[in-house]
Amino acid sequence: MRISTASFYENASGKISQLQSTLAEKQTQIASGRRILTPADDPVGAAAALDVSQAQAVNTQYGANRESAKNALSLQESSLGQYTNLLQNIKTLTIAAGNAALDDTQRKSIATELSGNLEDLVGISNTRDSAGNYIFAGYKSTVQPFAQTAAGVTYSGDQGQRLLQVSASRQLALNDSGDAIFQNIKTGNGKFTTAAASVNTGTGIVNPGSVTNQAALTNHNYSIDFNVAGGNTSFNVYDLTLDPGRTAPLAASGPYVSGQAISFDGVQFDISGAPANNDKFSLQPSTNQSVFKTVGDLINTLNTPATGATGKAALQTGLSIANGNLSAALDTVLTVRASGGARLQELDMLDSEGADRGLQYAARLSSLQDLDYAKAITELTQQQVTLQAAQQSFVKIANLSLFDYIR
Amino acid sequence: MASILGVGQSGLAAAQVGITTTGHNITNAATPGYSRQLVIQNSAGGQLTGNGFVGQGTEVSAIRRVYDNYTAERVNSAQTSKAALDTYASQISQINNLFADATTGLSPALQDFFSKVQGVAANPGGNAERQTLLSSAAGLTGRFQSVDGQLAQISEGINTQIAGSVTNINSFSKQIASLNDAIEKATAGANGVPPNDLLDQRDLAITELSKEVKVSVSNQPGSGYNVTIGNGQPLVIGTTVFTVQPVPSVTDQSRLELAYQNGTSLTRIPESAIAGGNLGGLFDFRANSLDPARNELGRVAIGLASAVNDQSRLGLDQNGQPGKVFFNVAGPKITPSSINTGNEQIGANISDVNALTASDYRIAYDGSNYKITRLKDNVVVSNGAFPTAAVDGITFNKTAGSIPAAIGDNYLVRPTVDGGASIALALTDKSQIAAAAPIVTAAPSANGGNARISAGSVNANYLAAPLVSTLTLRYNAGSIDSVPAGASGFPQAFASGSNLTFGGITLSITGVPVNGDIFTVAPNTTGVGDGRNAVALGALQTAAKLDNGTSTFASAFGQLVSNVGNKTREVQVSGAAESKLLANTLAIQQSQSGVNLDEEASNLLRYQQAYQAAGKIMQTASTLFDVLLSLGK
Repeated sequence: MRISTASFYENASGKISQLQSTLAEKQTQIASGRRILTPADDPVGAAAALDVSQAQAVNTQYGANRESAKNALSLQESSLGQYTNLLQNIKTLTIAAGNAALDDTQRKSIATELSGNLEDLVGISNTRDSAGNYIFAGYKSTVQPFAQTAAGVTYSGDQGQRLLQVSASRQLALNDSGDAIFQNIKTGNGKFTTAAASVNTGTGIVNPGSVTNQAALTNHNYSIDFNVAGGNTSFNVYDLTLDPGRTAPLAASGPYVSGQAISFDGVQFDISGAPANNDKFSLQPSTNQSVFKTVGDLINTLNTPATGATGKAALQTGLSIANGNLSAALDTVLTVRASGGARLQELDMLDSEGADRGLQYAARLSSLQDLDYAKAITELTQQQVTLQAAQQSFVKIANLSLFDYIR
Repeated sequence: MASILGVGQSGLAAAQVGITTTGHNITNAATPGYSRQLVIQNSAGGQLTGNGFVGQGTEVSAIRRVYDNYTAERVNSAQTSKAALDTYASQISQINNLFADATTGLSPALQDFFSKVQGVAANPGGNAERQTLLSSAAGLTGRFQSVDGQLAQISEGINTQIAGSVTNINSFSKQIASLNDAIEKATAGANGVPPNDLLDQRDLAITELSKEVKVSVSNQPGSGYNVTIGNGQPLVIGTTVFTVQPVPSVTDQSRLELAYQNGTSLTRIPESAIAGGNLGGLFDFRANSLDPARNELGRVAIGLASAVNDQSRLGLDQNGQPGKVFFNVAGPKITPSSINTGNEQIGANISDVNALTASDYRIAYDGSNYKITRLKDNVVVSNGAFPTAAVDGITFNKTAGSIPAAIGDNYLVRPTVDGGASIALALTDKSQIAAAAPIVTAAPSANGGNARISAGSVNANYLAAPLVSTLTLRYNAGSIDSVPAGASGFPQAFASGSNLTFGGITLSITGVPVNGDIFTVAPNTTGVGDGRNAVALGALQTAAKLDNGTSTFASAFGQLVSNVGNKTREVQVSGAAESKLLANTLAIQQSQSGVNLDEEASNLLRYQQAYQAAGKIMQTASTLFDVLLSLGK
């Protein structure tokens, strides 16, 4: 084929500039360490790299969120640890106060110590975090949740639980509201409470009792009325909810034997001692009572002089109720701490999962956009050789001209 | 004797022509568009003598250029395609480079924004967290605006280039027309002998014109080349030139189109009719890469603003006020054609961002119905009266003007084009960030059962009738009723843990309630520690809120980057293929018409020797004559 001189030069310069531009691109890749310089180099890879880097950023964010969650939960856990110790201390004092050898003065001194403990309780319930937010106030983190008033300790927070996204599929609660920890504590055995009427004159003591048949529970109010006639003590059980006029005693009614179990409608308890005529005992569904009220009631009980058998019975009943309620408070806080601990444990698990995921993302990102240096440098050398060859051959061929021989 | 001299002289003359033509070839070896010329030499024939026919020497019958029309057409067509692809590639590489750096694109700004939202979720009351969220949001809107601004700049650059290209087209048209004229005159003056160099010039002008736009050329004997573009609009007929002009589009003053001037009237040539060449490449790029990229960017901006705003409005700010709009963003841009007869106003609202496409729409009135065409795929999406049902997430309506709409009135609707440029932070103070949820639930301590009420969530229906006071719910005998009875949505059957939905609120009650247990749902008033809505805002990062629930904001942007990358690559690859084709056709053309200097060197030697030899003939004649003269001495 005829080759025109112009096209020879054009071809050669075109080829050489093309080789130079690939060489320059390879050099940029090597200098930046990136395989994808613009999206056009690998459109799918570029989009995938964007996706992966977004996933990586989200993963890192979840890690930061887990740190916040851990801080919040750890602070709550340490506060609740103090609270638990305090409750156990109060419980020990309550048991000590039941010692029959103590006199009123000694009980008063226990009451004084308990008053100090109550202050501590309120202090713990108003714990703040490093930013000054009350951790047991629910959402109302700037409002002091618990305040001592004439009517006892009142709660001004709400029942809010703050959630934080700690992994793609998990929102975790950062706090438990003061309401759930300090306020919502079931009285009695959790289902019902027993109590002796304050006007009782006998020495009958009722124990907290237990549920024997969950399905038979009625949530009704009952009264156990005693009759003492001719040396025989008997009692009638009335369902006050259905029968406020005390017309039809339940089948459980009968002669009284101290310490013998009384059971009806799925509940069972016993009364011991010697109830007097017209003494009454009540059985009611459990209600919620704050730990502050429990301790406050206990202080009142201990401050009340226990005179005579009646007074002693009232003291025993009061201590027994306080003991039950304190156990319930302990149960509540231990449940909350267990759930907080489980959350902390879950956070640790999510952390290691997040770290794994972070490594995966980094590896994927690197495989998507990082340069294979060995390959790149081999290619660079190859292209360099080609360019040199093209340049040298061009100069050689361009020098061939017939005109050189025309003399 | 005379005949020997005559023969020698004819040889001298022919060799001279040969040397001149070879010199012409050599000197034009690098002239663009030059075709090598050949001297066609014939024998001058013989004269009958007693000895038979005696040769009379040689004569030059023609000087012909080596030129093949068919190859030239192929070269021109390859030039047209290559110019279009080159222009497309150089334009789109600007967008490609704009998205090249992962650290300066939109993605890091998006990630940063959501990371700051999470910061607020972790500490809803924190002023520092709130302030950095506002700054980050402002940074994000700035990034949208800057990317859009660069695309707008490219768009303006295209207008300048269109104007430049049109100037070139007109100038080549003029050249061709005047060359037509010159060639006709020269040919006529030379008894039909073609003026080779003028023909080369005219063919070069056609090649150069082909680089600007695709043309078709027909050769009319007697008048020269006729050149047409588009759907057959003539540029040159013989010696007459028809000019083209860049004119603003009827539906967008900022967009130049091509119009063809016929006498005093201007006829717009549809963009789709202009293929190939620099101009075709510009139109193609603008319609198929630049506009979609801007629309897509706008769609991400509108999608983000709409989702964040919706969630923000469901929340409660630090002052206890209902959440405000977080971002401001412009809605659809509607431009009536400037040649509409009526002045009816068309309106459009985005009703569902999830269904939004990145396409533009054209509305045309046919006398009774409004036909809405989606321009991306030319599908008629609606043809009826206004207002319409939602079409691709947009509802259209109209406001009658003082002049009723006439048949053929049309409007261009660009739903998302302004999104990127217009997105801006609407909140002015950090306290306005709606981190809290508007409701707060509680189960009073007095309850006998152990049932707990969940925190609850609200959706858009809540905004229609937000709670103004505490709503009390009471459990009784397997159902939940309001106290006092009669609240909308109650009573409802109770099932532990299953959702209760009423008035836009969804919550659940879990556990075993006893009869008479109450649960309260109240407006949240002082919940500064509540970050529920911030958590919901943060969840938008990974929520698929675009493309009918298949794309997140980041993946929609990734899609845009990928589309631009793909198209750039496609154009580069086709450009390389077209370059190859052009190089091949050029090589074929050059192998026929190009000057080879070695060949010319040998021709030079040949004609030089022919000249010398012819001179020798004349010298011989002279010697012979001397012999005759010496006879007389």
